Amino acid sequence: MTRFLPFVLFAASTLAAQMPPDVTMERSGFVAWLKKGPNSPLSAVAQQKIGDGLRLGPADADIPLPGIDEYRVYPSGAGIVLEGSGGKRPIGRGGPYRIGKYALFLAGPQPGTVLTVFTDTAGKEPPGYYDYDASMVFTGPLIRLETPKPMRVLASDGIEVQATEVGSVVVPLGGRTSLRVLRIPFAGGDESDLEIYFRDESNGDGTYPAGRFVSLDPLSNGRFRLNFNRARNPFCAYSSVYPCPAPWRGNTLPVAIRAGERYSGGGLQAVPTEQPAE
Amino acid sequence: MMLALAIQAALGVAGLSPAEGSWRAVLDLAGGPLRFALQIERSSGLRGRLCNGAKCQPIGARLEGGSLVLDIADYAATITAELRGDSLSGAYRNVGNRGPRTIPFRASRGRWPITRAPGSLVGRWDATYSQDLETSPRVFELRNGPAGIEGTLISSTSDFGPFSGTASADSFAIGYFDGSFVYLITGRLQGDTLRGVFHAGLRTQTPWQAVRSTGAPHLKSPTEITSADTSAPFRFRFPDLQGRLVGNDDVRFKGKVVLVDIFGTWCPTCHEGTPELIQLYNRYRGRGLEIVGLAFEVSGDTAVDGPLVRRYRNKFRISFPLLLAGTSDVEAIEAALPQLRGAGAFPTILFLGRDGRVRRVHAGFHGLAAGAQHQRQVREFEVEIEKLLNEDEKRKQ
Repeated sequence: MTRFLPFVLFAASTLAAQMPPDVTMERSGFVAWLKKGPNSPLSAVAQQKIGDGLRLGPADADIPLPGIDEYRVYPSGAGIVLEGSGGKRPIGRGGPYRIGKYALFLAGPQPGTVLTVFTDTAGKEPPGYYDYDASMVFTGPLIRLETPKPMRVLASDGIEVQATEVGSVVVPLGGRTSLRVLRIPFAGGDESDLEIYFRDESNGDGTYPAGRFVSLDPLSNGRFRLNFNRARNPFCAYSSVYPCPAPWRGNTLPVAIRAGERYSGGGLQAVPTEQPAE
Repeated sequence: MMLALAIQAALGVAGLSPAEGSWRAVLDLAGGPLRFALQIERSSGLRGRLCNGAKCQPIGARLEGGSLVLDIADYAATITAELRGDSLSGAYRNVGNRGPRTIPFRASRGRWPITRAPGSLVGRWDATYSQDLETSPRVFELRNGPAGIEGTLISSTSDFGPFSGTASADSFAIGYFDGSFVYLITGRLQGDTLRGVFHAGLRTQTPWQAVRSTGAPHLKSPTEITSADTSAPFRFRFPDLQGRLVGNDDVRFKGKVVLVDIFGTWCPTCHEGTPELIQLYNRYRGRGLEIVGLAFEVSGDTAVDGPLVRRYRNKFRISFPLLLAGTSDVEAIEAALPQLRGAGAFPTILFLGRDGRVRRVHAGFHGLAAGAQHQRQVREFEVEIEKLLNEDEKRKQ
């Protein structure tokens, strides 16, 4: 089989049917963060681009926050300032900046910096995962583009980033399906992930309608592992305050991928228009 | 299992915690193991040391149920691992905007064997990273130290190290983990060229190749990265750790040569640079040198940042003022210090003349691990300070 389809990812051994420890740890850490993290997307109550400035607090403000006196967040010079009755101070990415029971976080570079407001996660439960399915793990080559393509896309957290399309992988599901792979950076630093934003027949029937993200893991032998059990929702699945990344052109599997993170309602219901990414 | 219980029982009889001792620790990155060492000991409670080669840093340690929890407070990171006799198994975590970065962790009792680099690998190498559309320069220095092979990774703005690890006849794997940076460099000598991969975090892998350094400049000069408005005195005004506003026009700085240290307690390179600044302060203070540290922290919230900066001051016994200047992204720095352009390297050290104007901007810092580059940088600092101290007294304001 390898002889005839050298560029297709192959199902990894199904002998190891149990969930590997690294996936167990990743899930437990992520669920704990969803439940208790100060910037858990389950607890997001508002998100807006700062633009020329935002008013927070009163009922007629851009972002009403019950029980909070008026604050303003606006650009000043090259940065962002938070101003309230107690004075003003420059604020930057990261956080939190606390106002009463609310926590403010900034993300993304100027112009285009986005403010997200969080409160507590009481009463909200993470959507959970399908049982681990060892047949949903594939290994093989990344078919690299001769010339990688820079492009701006929304990352899983709804923040626009400068990404690079680096190539594609072909999976033996529904025949042979090619999935585009983009390198998406973390905020600053040397780290990035190879990401695939894909749709499949389970979308809207157990998984998020707009699709899910999954990382492509480099192996030490120059090949890559695609483990759909690590598929995860865009943040718009947790709260409708997040913009939802438009599906990437092409990346649709003609089968149901019942592996990875589930979807149980909430977030953005409508599927955005497919992205004309070129 | 019986053996593990027997060991635990023996340790218990001796009054030792089962976690105490030396551990060979590993973070399992996608591209291979990143090795470091842990020492767990008891004083009033448990405490730990995280070591890269011969360099160690203190960390918090405690037992919770059957798990050992290590707190790397400088970087708000934790390692949680189940303790089973002579092995630890768990995860390292720290949290960003998209959730926790989780990397598998394991350890076994004992010390790493010492391996030495062959002469064909030792020395200074000019490296070029290649990732998708971009290339960028780095310098590697490989040498043998008391703990075996050591290395340093130097960029245009800073050094990362000391890396430590293993070597064979033609290849090496050296890592550096301090609770924030998770770096592994693997390489193999092919003819006259070193080729390998730089691993950052769990999954990022950047290919590189390197040739022996000829001595010609390979990196961008640290004085060419950030610039400043020199047409007027450099202005700053921020609260100190007691909440008092301190500014450039305070009498403390009047007519003095001033080093403005833009730093963050979260920044490992700043931890390297601060002891050097203290030495310069002790040496030149009597002749008119002042230093002020401007802390740009992660939260920007005084209640959060104040204790972190206070802890940093106490750790290094800093006697010059440290001010809470804001948050650590480029936009916030340029908003707080609008006379700077291209700020973003941590630390960045501004040299102000007696008239308060910026004379030199030095982005980044090359620490002790950078060897000759570190020595040259310290000498440049001394020359610059001497020059500014000797400037015409008429320029005093």
